[in-house]
Amino acid sequence: MRSFIRMKSSSGLWSRFSRTLEPYLYLVPASVLILLVFLYPIIWILQNSLWQNNADGTKGFGFTNYRLVFQDPVFFQVVANNGKLLFSVPIMTLLALFLAIVLFERVRGWMVYRGIVFMPYILAIPVVGTTFVYLLGLNGIFNTLLRGIGLSVLAQDWIGSAKWVIPSISVVIIYRELGFGVVLFLARLMSLDKEILEAAEIDGANWWQKHAYITLPQMSGVIEFFVVVELITMLSWVFAYVYTMTGGGPGFASTVMEFYIWKHAFAFRSPGIASALAVVLLLVTTILIVLQLRLRRRALDENL
Amino acid sequence: MISKRFRLFSIVLVLIMLLSACGAKPAATGTGNEKVDLTFWYWAESDAPGADAWMTETVEAYKKVQPNVTVNIVPQSTDTLISAFQSAVTAKSGPDIASQWATGPVLGFVWQDALVPVSDYVSQDEMKNWLNVDENKYNGKNWGAPMYLIGIGVMYNKDLFSKAGVTPPANGRWTWDEFTSACDKLKAAGITPFGIGDKNGYGGAWWFANVGIQGLNSTEDLRQAIIGNKPFTDEMYTGWYARMDDMVKKSYFNQDVMSLDLDQGVRQFWEGKAAMAFGTDGMIKQALTDVGEDKVGVMQTPKWGTGKLADAGNATQSISFLITKWSKHPQKAADFLKFMHTPDRLTSWYKHTGVIAADARFDRTLVTSPTLKQMMEWETTGPQVWLENFLPGQLDSDADLTAGQTIFAQSGSAADAAKLWQSVAETWRNQHPDELKNWQNWQQ
Repeated sequence: MRSFIRMKSSSGLWSRFSRTLEPYLYLVPASVLILLVFLYPIIWILQNSLWQNNADGTKGFGFTNYRLVFQDPVFFQVVANNGKLLFSVPIMTLLALFLAIVLFERVRGWMVYRGIVFMPYILAIPVVGTTFVYLLGLNGIFNTLLRGIGLSVLAQDWIGSAKWVIPSISVVIIYRELGFGVVLFLARLMSLDKEILEAAEIDGANWWQKHAYITLPQMSGVIEFFVVVELITMLSWVFAYVYTMTGGGPGFASTVMEFYIWKHAFAFRSPGIASALAVVLLLVTTILIVLQLRLRRRALDENL
Repeated sequence: MISKRFRLFSIVLVLIMLLSACGAKPAATGTGNEKVDLTFWYWAESDAPGADAWMTETVEAYKKVQPNVTVNIVPQSTDTLISAFQSAVTAKSGPDIASQWATGPVLGFVWQDALVPVSDYVSQDEMKNWLNVDENKYNGKNWGAPMYLIGIGVMYNKDLFSKAGVTPPANGRWTWDEFTSACDKLKAAGITPFGIGDKNGYGGAWWFANVGIQGLNSTEDLRQAIIGNKPFTDEMYTGWYARMDDMVKKSYFNQDVMSLDLDQGVRQFWEGKAAMAFGTDGMIKQALTDVGEDKVGVMQTPKWGTGKLADAGNATQSISFLITKWSKHPQKAADFLKFMHTPDRLTSWYKHTGVIAADARFDRTLVTSPTLKQMMEWETTGPQVWLENFLPGQLDSDADLTAGQTIFAQSGSAADAAKLWQSVAETWRNQHPDELKNWQNWQQ
């Protein structure tokens, strides 16, 4: 009898233990995959950033690579270029919002327009970049059109001059990324309670009042999400645009962090410096990701 | 008991035999009958269109001579030529034969202990026929095999010259004043004097290699600045940017220079829109077809400098073929490189590419155009230096290419370009103490 009781109690313990453990077991494959795919490269880069080649061929361990990165004058120009690209985020957001609202109001043929606006987003970046190189050259199609309508004074070397290259790249990025914003905002707009808008219309609210005081506040969560995603894009997802359009030039005028990391890693044989640059970029983007998570949590709390 | 011992002995003997069999090399090793697979990471098509087709033909021809050797060609892209091989070097695994641009890039891999000297596997009798081998000479050994020679000349359009009242140089070369005077006349006649593109930075790099070199007495001068013993801001290194800046300001170049890559800029000459342009043998050959055999002439880069290298030629083997340290068949790899230099292959090379072979046995009568013959003469006479080969990659990319763009885009002055060289060189020295030491020890 005693042995029966002991057996029963131990089997109860085991079943409780297995019940607790079981969900974690299901998570193991995915967790291992995530660790391998995300965590391992990060640890590898962190470790690599701390190894520095010495003159005698040995390797030193420390923060020398970080010191060298911050001593490199090009680094600050590169950071500034990424900073300039950030200015395109508010422009892109406002444009996407405007287009989404216009489409939401069911202008005739809105579904066709939605498809057209979204189309650039599904094009490969090198295709977009290469096409715009031909469009924006000094004797490219855009300037030819300007000259054709008597606006020669506005014709510029859009990608060949240090002054215009970042705004030109920004325009290309906006052209491609806009569709993502429009579709995102449109989806949110369609989930809004239309009765509130109708009530506002009955109360005499004009177009601006309706959207400024009713639509936009309800969309704050998705707008914040889009802004943060695009900020991250401008910092760490613009390599292909720069590579295909300008190669970082003229001079360093369009060199961005990713491109500079790539040069150090593959062209200059300095994986340590490239890793240190990558860690700096990772830190900045991590701050933005944390910001995004906090904003989303706040938005969620507000909705509750 | 005896039988038991015998059985035990027999088992041990069989085991030893089995283990020996597992560890033994194939019986045919070293006899020349073994099946050998060679992997060749090959790049040449961008320099010499037709090179890939020639290589396919060469591999097939080699199969007939050496049926047991299979050469697997893996074409390489320009953008990843260095990085792909760097990855292989890091992993100590990759091709038996690799391709790298001569001098700086090649020596970078020599210093990483990734290569074996080609001269250890190819006899001096054979190598004495190979041209420009000194481009990859280090520690008394030759580390790369050349295949072809590329030189740069200045093409000119005889009709456009005549229209502007410009007389080509009688001795094949202008002084700088004669050159700028011709540019003035061409511009006054509404003709773009010099066509070039620098969106990818190589237009500026060609000016450095052709004009920048003229202030130097030797490549050693350049090395002294690279390792920090002399400042790049010195007139001898970067004084020529003032001349380039002057040319940009006077609109001697096409206005869209920064919208075009180097080859797109050359196209301006092919299309008759510019009176002059830099051109490789291949580009000149194209010009002879597009503009007309009797309408295109060549000259050497106008002379401004007084350094000893001002009169040097600029021909380079461009790409060098290297035997990797991890190759299990370095001799077989070297044998294939030798086969590439057999007379039949050299003739076929020229027929496929129109680029002269880097070999004294190359049949010069194959070159029939007087213009291309003139180029060949310049490329094979006297010292030849392509100065860009003598730069560390970071300096080439961030100083050479970038400073040229600064001037062409007019985003900075000649002094800014000089400061950029100095600053990038300092950055490189700080970031690469190991490479710096190699450059310091390199006796050119």
